[in-house]
Amino acid sequence: MRRALIVCLLLASAGIAEQRGQREYVQSCGFCHGEDATGSRAPDLVRSPLVNRDNNGDLIAPLIRNGRPDQGMPAFPLPDKTVQDIVAFLRWRVDQALHSSDVRADYPLARLLTGNAEAGRAYFNGAGKCSGCHSPTGDLAGIAAKYRPLVLEERFLAPRGGPAILTVTTASGEQISGKQVHLDEFSVALRDASGWYHSWPRDKVKVAAKDPLQAHRDLLTKYTDADIHNLFAYLETLK
Amino acid sequence: MRLALALFAALVPSYAQGLDPAALAKTPTDTWPTYNGDYSGRRYSPLKQINTFNVASLTLAWAFQANSVAIKSTPLEVNGILYFTVPDHVWAVDARTGRQVWHYHYNSAGGDHIGHRGIGMWGNWLYFETPDAHLVCLDAKDGRVRWNIELADYKLGYFATMAPLIVGNHVIVGVSGDVTDIPGFLESVDPETGKLQWRWYTEPKPGEPGSETWPKDSDAISHGGGMTWMTGTYDPALHLLYWGTGNPNPVLAGDARPGDNLYTCSIVALDPETGKLAWYFQPSPHDTHDWDAVQTPVLFDADFGGKPRRLLAQAARNGFFFVLDRATGEHLLTAPFIETNWTSGIDQRGRPIALREKEPRPDGALLFPGSDGATNWMSPSFDPDTGLFYVVARRIYSIFYYTATGKPEGWAGRDHDLYEESTIRAIDYRTGKIRWNHELGPAESVAGILSTAGGLLFTGDAQGNLLALDASSGKTLWHVNAGGSMVSSPMCYQLDGRQYVVEGVQGVLYAWALPESMTK
Repeated sequence: MRRALIVCLLLASAGIAEQRGQREYVQSCGFCHGEDATGSRAPDLVRSPLVNRDNNGDLIAPLIRNGRPDQGMPAFPLPDKTVQDIVAFLRWRVDQALHSSDVRADYPLARLLTGNAEAGRAYFNGAGKCSGCHSPTGDLAGIAAKYRPLVLEERFLAPRGGPAILTVTTASGEQISGKQVHLDEFSVALRDASGWYHSWPRDKVKVAAKDPLQAHRDLLTKYTDADIHNLFAYLETLK
Repeated sequence: MRLALALFAALVPSYAQGLDPAALAKTPTDTWPTYNGDYSGRRYSPLKQINTFNVASLTLAWAFQANSVAIKSTPLEVNGILYFTVPDHVWAVDARTGRQVWHYHYNSAGGDHIGHRGIGMWGNWLYFETPDAHLVCLDAKDGRVRWNIELADYKLGYFATMAPLIVGNHVIVGVSGDVTDIPGFLESVDPETGKLQWRWYTEPKPGEPGSETWPKDSDAISHGGGMTWMTGTYDPALHLLYWGTGNPNPVLAGDARPGDNLYTCSIVALDPETGKLAWYFQPSPHDTHDWDAVQTPVLFDADFGGKPRRLLAQAARNGFFFVLDRATGEHLLTAPFIETNWTSGIDQRGRPIALREKEPRPDGALLFPGSDGATNWMSPSFDPDTGLFYVVARRIYSIFYYTATGKPEGWAGRDHDLYEESTIRAIDYRTGKIRWNHELGPAESVAGILSTAGGLLFTGDAQGNLLALDASSGKTLWHVNAGGSMVSSPMCYQLDGRQYVVEGVQGVLYAWALPESMTK
């Protein structure tokens, strides 16, 4: 099962030459260097300096053809085309390792779906206080169909939303509200309901901020990982 | 030591316009001769023309537009000339006027252009590391190349960003690169020829002390990472180098390398003549979150527990502040300097104990800090006047995914940031307690810190403001919106009776000073 999964994931992003190359590789090289080229009886080829220094087969091809008899590797008299496909496969495996820090939006649901949906629902209506603002039949209806799994998980952890609403009270007591444009130690700026921009020095006015996303941020210090996985499992049921 | 310096000075043919090596061993005023200003890494200047009483009058002396990517380097300043870098580029600029003296462009064959910290100087020569992991020696007079050597093969994933440290006749250089599983090392080369003097590998060889902290039945130890990508410090009296090492590889894959994984994520003390290890301390044993321990090991002499001690302090990327005796490596203090959620306590040797369940998982583990760290390469500072250690601290909430399905190689996953806030914290080195806290608001600040005898702390926030704070209280005394974020560490010097504070903001170098009417 595990091996099938590895091969399946391996092939997911491979091109035609790489796929051909993998078949040839598994047949001729896999027994010693491992089916995914990460080593077995013989060294890991993904980490191999020779493979990393190779340019279009200039180093790998002679090695395949001549072998390394002193280290127990026989010669493989394979056709040029086959050797080039094996080179393409190895190059692609190196690239996979180089990009192993990409956790992409198409990250598989099966890997994220480890929680208990029922416990997630209880958290949603209970400790998480999510139901105070959200409803599974209202704003969240069909949410799991709308977002890919990884995006859904990260959206509830760190939602993107509109800016905070600021209310600025000037020295004369005038109050102006609007969407936050800028807020730091020294200045505050907002856009009012009519679309006009205003700014003030912080020490001349009072600023009150209302951020609808604050509840999400507060949860970041409260969640257990189980809460996150359960909540995710629950939200995934909202297709 | 004085004899060694005199001997060394005699070996340098002429430094009429170059760097007098004696300047490296004292706290600078008219010179900033090395990445951290001096060997101690305190980033503390004894200059006080600009001080708490007059800093509100600070004004622009000049600006230099490099038309470059963000300046992350700290300039050197020697005999009125500033030398600073971005990847592939070195500039020499008049420190009084901001006018260009020369510019050098290097053509990298490849490598990573993520950033560059600066250069090292020995006599009339400059030492510049390149994105394709070469070391180039330039003539400081005109930027001409004297020689160029390869430190490591960029095709294997190595690159280089750090500012070399010069100790005696040793150019100490480190390397970067944790995308592939390659061994880290620190080496010393001859300043005249570039010839290798010694090389210290982060991972011991199988059978050597420390090798027992790696699995025996795999190739993990020879692919263990531990890059040396920040400039270390040096104690001339003890004649020891102090260096922080990077994270182990594969980065997030702890199960591929059970054990503490020495000497990754460690502070090591090395003999600068031989590269031999004197002692080590490991802030993050068996790291699985990219929390390398390359943050400056800051050296100062002060009382600890009622006794005068030779101390070394580090605010590490994992969120903990450490104090050691730098003669012996004896652990003295561990304290968190920001909220974290990955430990169950501190062990008997002063090391945080990592929670197994907070290792990266396929379905995500929520961590604070994230991989960007509670702090990172931006400089901390120690101010002997206040006795406070200053650090830019970040609350970064992040979810770590472990993605590998077969044998993990490279990163084997990554974390995604969920929310960030930053603050400047003043730590009492004797207790680890936070004496003052200056919140910087949302976003991840990467501005370094300079403290001065004027009672000031110079830094920036993540909203584009440069700041001068009262070093004893954290109160803001001066600020300016400089039109971009400071992603470098400030430095200062005094020339012709005028003190300049130099700060890189994106591709611009700003020099701040008091109005000339106040300095005459």
